[in-house]
Amino acid sequence: MPFFEFITPLFLLLIIGGTFVGIIFGAIPGMTATMAVAVCLPLTYPLGLNNGLALLLGLYVGGISGGLVPAILLNIPGTPSSITTTFDGYPMTQRGEGEKALKIGICASLAGGIISLIALYLFAPALADFAIRFSYVEKFLIILFALSVMGALSANLLIGIFSGFLGIFISLIGTYDISSGGNGKHRLIPPGLEYWLDSGFSLLPVLIGIFGLSAILQEAENGMPLGLSRDKVRIGKSSKFSFSVFKGQALNVLRSSGIGTFVGILPGVGGSAASILAYTNAKTFSKNPENFGKGEPAGIIASESGNNGLTGGALVPLLSLGIPGDSTTALLIGAFTLQGIQVGPLFIGNNPDTWNAMIFAMLIANVAMFIMMFYAIRYVALIVTIPKHILFPIILMMCVIGAYTINYGIMFDVWTLLIFGLFGWLALKIRLEIAPFIIGFILGPSAEVYFVKSLESFGDLTIFFTKSWIAVLLWVLILGSIAGSVFINRRASQAE
Amino acid sequence: MGDLTKVTIDFQSSHLLFPIIIGCVLAVLGLAIVIRERSRIAVSGDHWRNIFSQMNKFQFFGTLALTLAYFSLMVPVGDYWPNTGLGFLLCSIPFVFLAGLQFMHTRTARSVLILALVAVCVPSLIWWLFTEIFFLTLP
Repeated sequence: MPFFEFITPLFLLLIIGGTFVGIIFGAIPGMTATMAVAVCLPLTYPLGLNNGLALLLGLYVGGISGGLVPAILLNIPGTPSSITTTFDGYPMTQRGEGEKALKIGICASLAGGIISLIALYLFAPALADFAIRFSYVEKFLIILFALSVMGALSANLLIGIFSGFLGIFISLIGTYDISSGGNGKHRLIPPGLEYWLDSGFSLLPVLIGIFGLSAILQEAENGMPLGLSRDKVRIGKSSKFSFSVFKGQALNVLRSSGIGTFVGILPGVGGSAASILAYTNAKTFSKNPENFGKGEPAGIIASESGNNGLTGGALVPLLSLGIPGDSTTALLIGAFTLQGIQVGPLFIGNNPDTWNAMIFAMLIANVAMFIMMFYAIRYVALIVTIPKHILFPIILMMCVIGAYTINYGIMFDVWTLLIFGLFGWLALKIRLEIAPFIIGFILGPSAEVYFVKSLESFGDLTIFFTKSWIAVLLWVLILGSIAGSVFINRRASQAE
Repeated sequence: MGDLTKVTIDFQSSHLLFPIIIGCVLAVLGLAIVIRERSRIAVSGDHWRNIFSQMNKFQFFGTLALTLAYFSLMVPVGDYWPNTGLGFLLCSIPFVFLAGLQFMHTRTARSVLILALVAVCVPSLIWWLFTEIFFLTLP
């Protein structure tokens, strides 16, 4: 049966291996799922698309899930998305219920992952079918909408939007590509760099620099933290886990996973927003809201099903519109680029094998994550003791391989890694928003083609407002997201 | 009014249209940010002084210096043995060792020995994997 042709021993091994490595990255504070995907991206080149995606999706699911280990045991979120897991997980550890808290989080992660996978399976093809009808005008407005949503959800609306446009601006450096209907002329290239920047900055070195090298520079700036000794990892023995803890929590799981999936679908919004929203909702609807923050299992369930709900949701806009749902899925675009495949509305219809492989890989990754973490939690917990002074130089070395091999051996790509590593570090200091910048950088060239071709075809600026009811709806959504952000900020500043 | 919205794009200069528009949007947004955040920008000197005073300068600048040396030496070293990836291997071993050494808190003989073993084994394994198994180009 064709559906199962992609399932080979290597395919399964890559999912399981990816999930395992992802858990390690997620469980070590300061290392994220995004970093795991960035570092392992070059490995996908010789593996082919389906096998490469199996590895990356395993890393993604494992990386998001692994963050709960230090969040519960050490009160340090392993990934930003597990921040709310600390609120109730760590108090449980202090009561000697570390193992119970970890297992609650693992079960909730599995539930969130599976529910979001179902959402992905149902919504992505439907959205893609709808998006096939989009002309250049609607496609341009979709990109504008993605940037406005990201700006609106940034800490500062103006800086969020500025970051997105800066990403677009930098992506335009190079040649106006003839294959996209451009005139083949250079623009924005500093004198003397025409040879190196003929095609602009390569996507992958930029991503690896921003997510890999800048994280290492950040840790070096703060001073590499001392490795934890094993005796500091107290998993606790006083309370055994039982599935009865989930009694009465079905609605919490469904709601939190749904919130996570929805947040994932919104372009560029990270897992921390998903878990915070899910946690806040669980607290609001709880019969015992006063217990939240004091070791309430419902809090862990909400946080973990929320952040794992993001995994499937973030793939919906990527696979149906070509717009990444978060920074990790932005890196997946790199894997598609490496194999010469463009993601967008036609992707699922033209590549049913890859689509099925992705769904199957996500399913297996979630199950593998559950088995690895649930049954070996005492050993998984020790991951937090791996010394960073050994890991980080190796990660930087892997970043170099990733950057160098991406265009078959161009040293300028390695320097790009350093340039954008420094940029990522600097962006944190001057409070530029990285997620909108990345999405702007990825979508900039497409935005240009859609914008210019729309004007060349119709010769009138009003076409962006009058082309169809979808264009009008998109403008309403763009303005609504900006107005909503302004309103929320005003209310917050008045409350202060 | 209808004519105001009409646009004719000259193909020869079409490569500049979108960058100019984005540049203008950035300038407007930048100006709005400067006006809105002027009080914060005025005290940005303190912000940077704070960053540099709290920074672990040895590790931060050490990482930068090692990375620069690592990137700069890979190609010249690799040119002695073209198309073998040995430039990558011979530069990665000292880089992993020295970077690990500077990040290390307590340098005991045992921990340095473990680091040295990792610095030799891991880059060698990666080099073998990429050049012999995956047939990918390394410097």
